[in-house]
Amino acid sequence: MTADLPAATVDPTAGDPTMGSGIQPSAGSIYDLGYRHYDGPRLGRRHVLTALLIYTLRTTYGIGRGGRAKIIPFGLAAMGVVPAVIALAILVLARQAGEAGELLEEASPLRYDSLYGAIAQLVFLFCAAQAPELLGKDQRFHVLSLYFSRALARSDYVIARVGGFAIAVLLLVLTPQAIVFFGRVLSAPDVVAELGDNLPVLPAIIGQGLLTAGLLGAIAVTVSAFTPRRAYATAAIIAVIVVPPIIAQLADEITRPELARWAVLASAQDVLSATNAWLFDVQPDSDAVISAALSPEIYLATAVGAILVLGAILVRRYQRISA
Amino acid sequence: MTALVSTSALTKRYPGVTALDDLSVDIEPGIVGLVGSNGAGKSTLIKILLGLVDLTSGSARVLDLDVGVEGPRIRQYVGYMPEHDALPPDQTATDLVNHLARMSGLPATAARERTAEVLRHVGLYEERYRAIGGYSTGMKQRVKLAQALVHDPRLLLLDEPTNGLDPGGRDEMLGLIERTGTEFGIAIIVASHLLGEIERVCDFLVAIEGGRLLQAAPLGTLTGRTGMVAVEVEDGEAALASELAGRGLPVTRDGRALLVEIDAERGYDEVRDAVADLGLALVRLEPRRRSLEDLFRDDAPSAPAVPSATTSGRVS
Repeated sequence: MTADLPAATVDPTAGDPTMGSGIQPSAGSIYDLGYRHYDGPRLGRRHVLTALLIYTLRTTYGIGRGGRAKIIPFGLAAMGVVPAVIALAILVLARQAGEAGELLEEASPLRYDSLYGAIAQLVFLFCAAQAPELLGKDQRFHVLSLYFSRALARSDYVIARVGGFAIAVLLLVLTPQAIVFFGRVLSAPDVVAELGDNLPVLPAIIGQGLLTAGLLGAIAVTVSAFTPRRAYATAAIIAVIVVPPIIAQLADEITRPELARWAVLASAQDVLSATNAWLFDVQPDSDAVISAALSPEIYLATAVGAILVLGAILVRRYQRISA
Repeated sequence: MTALVSTSALTKRYPGVTALDDLSVDIEPGIVGLVGSNGAGKSTLIKILLGLVDLTSGSARVLDLDVGVEGPRIRQYVGYMPEHDALPPDQTATDLVNHLARMSGLPATAARERTAEVLRHVGLYEERYRAIGGYSTGMKQRVKLAQALVHDPRLLLLDEPTNGLDPGGRDEMLGLIERTGTEFGIAIIVASHLLGEIERVCDFLVAIEGGRLLQAAPLGTLTGRTGMVAVEVEDGEAALASELAGRGLPVTRDGRALLVEIDAERGYDEVRDAVADLGLALVRLEPRRRSLEDLFRDDAPSAPAVPSATTSGRVS
């Protein structure tokens, strides 16, 4: 197909021995190397998508940007690690205390199943702060026209942006779990036995991590896509994540239970609390979820369905956005 | 040889406004000026060629590829410099251009090399490691040109590249464009509302107005051979005017200068001789080119038929 295209008509290096590859080094001269055409590979869609995804992940943590861009993401990530470190400290102390320590360990409020709840607020803040930064900037400064005038498809832009951001959130929520997991295993007297004890909980950790990152990431990115203004996007994300649980709680308390049962599904926080309880096989930490008494599959379907619907809204939004 | 860009009855309607109306034009490789006043449809045409905007009816082909069907493939071989600001302020030029090179499908190493090369070409050196937010308008325009060049396109689409630049900056940008077109051998379509500027670098001109094609012809036929010279002498304009009229050259007055219509046989020499015979002091003798405004006038003489340009669009 390249043969169909009009070839470059001028080769600037042709016939000039000082240009191109045939440079003769000589003392004190500055060479204008001339323009060299690029005849290397032009990689396809998958490569471009991966590059944008990795770039998105880096940008979300402010890597490759100035120092100030790193304060919020790394600050929140550091705070997210605190509960895990405390959990680990309790564990190590308990193990040193021997028999008596087992009671202490049982009583520790920080375990695999409660860790997500403990850092939930940080995850909301991370989403509300970083998603508008990512998407709003491309709109505010019209960078989209530079993306969309390239081979990149608009839907690929969406996939890479959502994917990269979800992975960034996933790192945020999985890091504390990983600290607790490896801390437990490596601090045990019998590492292999401890690993065997802890492995069964891995699917729950990863499953809940994926649901949290997917749902909150999709909400944050979708809301951000609709306004170039960062402050509006941040406020809207907080509203979408924080207000529904309050409504669900109010509905639970003041209206007929039948309505409250379904209102809880509008609250991402409560849905994630329910899937967390289901995956780790514990009691939900949200009253609204407990009194709604819906079957766990409904919450799972809601979470997965919401991610897909939000993705579709995003793709549609970017098909129509003018660049 | 297939045309670089070819449109046929291209029409684009937005709700309530027709941006392009039955536009048919073939454009050959070279540096092509796309002139028209603001709102004439220049940006819309460029965006349609890029596949960024859907056309309402008609068809358009770029590099012999259909814009409606093969947009992504076209965009792989086309570089676009938008009219408006398009640069994030918190990134360095190197960072941004490198990233956009990756977005054009260049492998990481090649992207880095090409980034360094094009930034050097557009004249950004040490400042390329600073955040774009602190750049002058001229530097920002250079970054925009660099990102359009980084993947070594066959065709560059430049939308008002001299926007917001001071006269010095305009000269430099035009020089860069000329160099890119002639030395690098990249075909360029440059949109501008300033004919005087664009005619310095272009060899073909496409003029549109109100979404319709006015003219599509080599630059010379539109602005060069107007056969008009301005003569300025110290005193004695009246004598010169009658002398020239006596030699059968139509003369009109334009302020202090006399505008003389000449033709191929009786050119500058005739005017010079007239001045010399009268013993007048010649201050200025210069070709007066037809202005963009003349192109848009109804009575503008139509350009000679050019094989490469089909002007089916009616002249409004």
